[in-house]
Amino acid sequence: MIKKSWVLVIVILLLSVALVACGSKPPATQPPVTPAPGTEGPAFDGELLIGIMVPTTGSEATYGKDMENAINLAVEEINAKGGLLGKKVVTTTGDDGCDPQMASAAASKLVSSDVVAVVGGYCSGATLPTLKIYADAKIPMVVPAANSTKIAEENQGWAFQVNSPGYHQAEKATQWFATLGHTKVALVHQGDGFSEDLANLTKANWEDKGNQVVAYEVVNKGEQDYSALVTKIKSSGAEVVYWTAYHADGALLIMQLRQGGYTGDIVVGDGSSSDQLLEIAGQAGEGVYCTSPPIVDFLPAASSFIQNYTAKWKQSPGPYSGLSYDSANLLFSAIEKANSVDGDAIRAILVDTKDFPTLSGNITFTPELTLVNSNFIMLKGENGKWVLAE
Amino acid sequence: MSFQEIFLQQLFNGLLLGSFYGLVALGYSMVYGIIKLLNFAHADIYMVGGFISLAILKFFGGTFLGNAWLGIVTAMILTMIIVGLLGVAIQRVAYRPMFNAPRLSILITALGVSMILYNAVMVITGGEYRAYKTGLGYGGFNMGSVYVTHTQAILIVASMALMLVLHLFITRTMYGKAMRGIALDHDTCRLMGINVNKIIALTFFTGSALAAAAGMMAGVYYGSLHFFMGFVIGIKAFTAAVIGGIGIIPGAMLGGILLGLLESFGTQIPFIGSQWKDVFSFSILILILIFKPTGLLGKKESERM
Repeated sequence: MIKKSWVLVIVILLLSVALVACGSKPPATQPPVTPAPGTEGPAFDGELLIGIMVPTTGSEATYGKDMENAINLAVEEINAKGGLLGKKVVTTTGDDGCDPQMASAAASKLVSSDVVAVVGGYCSGATLPTLKIYADAKIPMVVPAANSTKIAEENQGWAFQVNSPGYHQAEKATQWFATLGHTKVALVHQGDGFSEDLANLTKANWEDKGNQVVAYEVVNKGEQDYSALVTKIKSSGAEVVYWTAYHADGALLIMQLRQGGYTGDIVVGDGSSSDQLLEIAGQAGEGVYCTSPPIVDFLPAASSFIQNYTAKWKQSPGPYSGLSYDSANLLFSAIEKANSVDGDAIRAILVDTKDFPTLSGNITFTPELTLVNSNFIMLKGENGKWVLAE
Repeated sequence: MSFQEIFLQQLFNGLLLGSFYGLVALGYSMVYGIIKLLNFAHADIYMVGGFISLAILKFFGGTFLGNAWLGIVTAMILTMIIVGLLGVAIQRVAYRPMFNAPRLSILITALGVSMILYNAVMVITGGEYRAYKTGLGYGGFNMGSVYVTHTQAILIVASMALMLVLHLFITRTMYGKAMRGIALDHDTCRLMGINVNKIIALTFFTGSALAAAAGMMAGVYYGSLHFFMGFVIGIKAFTAAVIGGIGIIPGAMLGGILLGLLESFGTQIPFIGSQWKDVFSFSILILILIFKPTGLLGKKESERM
């Protein structure tokens, strides 16, 4: 009984405080939309829906969550500043599962929920079939991660790639092979759009420079045993192996290369830049190089982003978090400038983007809607962590 | 590397890979032999075995009485028992009520069990790859020109030993005799006083335990686990079982090792390489089946129904 009466007293006290507060305000300044109880901040005139398309299940789910978190952080920040066009920015996520069919379904779902624009696209293979879906619906899409050149080729003018395209990465990789003093390279990919693309570009780039690709191999996704491949690479006399696919199978290949007695250098592509690669590979991961997109940990401009991200999500940002955050901000700025939620208006502003400042440098688009300047960096595995190699 | 070195190394690679295929193929073959069921869930039992062994290793802190190898052996025995019982439970709940139903119904049930298993593991592990740390390192020895790590040597020996024990069990014990009898005719066995259901359960226990051992070996050797890791090896092991003659125990081992060798050498042969190695090995397997439809060790059998 004592407990109940205390609750009553508190309720009465709170009510009277609320009454006094209301009474002291003139009714004319009441906001048009009352904020939900418990939330403070600016008042909004409706909502503005942004779609997020990332893999939140499957082998690439880790990256997808990192991207989603970063976009939602950008959304929280813009809402704290009063939203966009007076509206509150809200997001809805479509899971592309890094799979073309799931991605098409996710894109259709986002289109039918009337999103103003989309931030998303991690796996190039899954992003490709969605280009037409968004273009048909006149929905601009900022792509933070997927960087296959096929996207630029099949782009219908509505997708904006904020990550450097594959040939920027191939160039970075071959520069590094030369820096290490190697001439014989083995390339290994996984037969999907992304990794085969990078392997082909690297092959062309390396051979253009007058060097030799001594082995060009492919492994099947889900296969665990690469010992035969390791023997072939060893017997080819390769001085450096470049793995262009994803981290889970990459870790297996690295371990089996070392277990099989391969002593040359190993470089992995940006799909393998996860810390999990080093965690699974263990001691074999020491000294492995990685051509990486601009990871925020190594960008001086990103320290406050890292702080806010870590505070909000209780984990450190992933490799594509920074670019996802940049993509969201680029899109917000374009919507603001267009002063409209009309797809054509936003697209026109995005096309003319010039030196838009982001965590990873300034964004200017080529006529193909890809970045003008490369943003790749070179990392190295040391004591189970990636550090800047240069 | 000289031609001879490459040849020996690929021979060794093929044998190691083939013994994995063989261990998993045994389970397919035994179950098919005894109740004519393609047990699709078998590949997922392999995967579950990997995860359960990891959980046990973590529980013991990776060692037993302070020894890494003893820890692994203990974990393997426990894993085989636990997963063997899981196999028996699956058989009891999902298959036994269907023994008298049409073959297709029980096939679909097996498909369902497979989906339940890998989806359950996906939910539990969050769909992520798990590192399998054993601290065994890459120490090893040279066998001729082939460098063999201790892990590889033990894995080959262990899988060969398991296959041998199974072979002796089937050919030399009363239970093995009962299994072979049931494969021929359920009803006659029942008339002879054999508890058919019990022997079928025993078959599932043995097959699942072997798959679990293979799953754990894959974890130890490859260093990571994933909820879908059974898929590819399941297809290959099933193929191996068919090539060897499904229902025939030595056939499963032979088929597994043959497939492993074909893949290894396929990777090395110019113009085939890693891109075409599966096309190469499966083309040869198709050829074998064209000329010997019952598999390498299979005998012509007349319809018994």
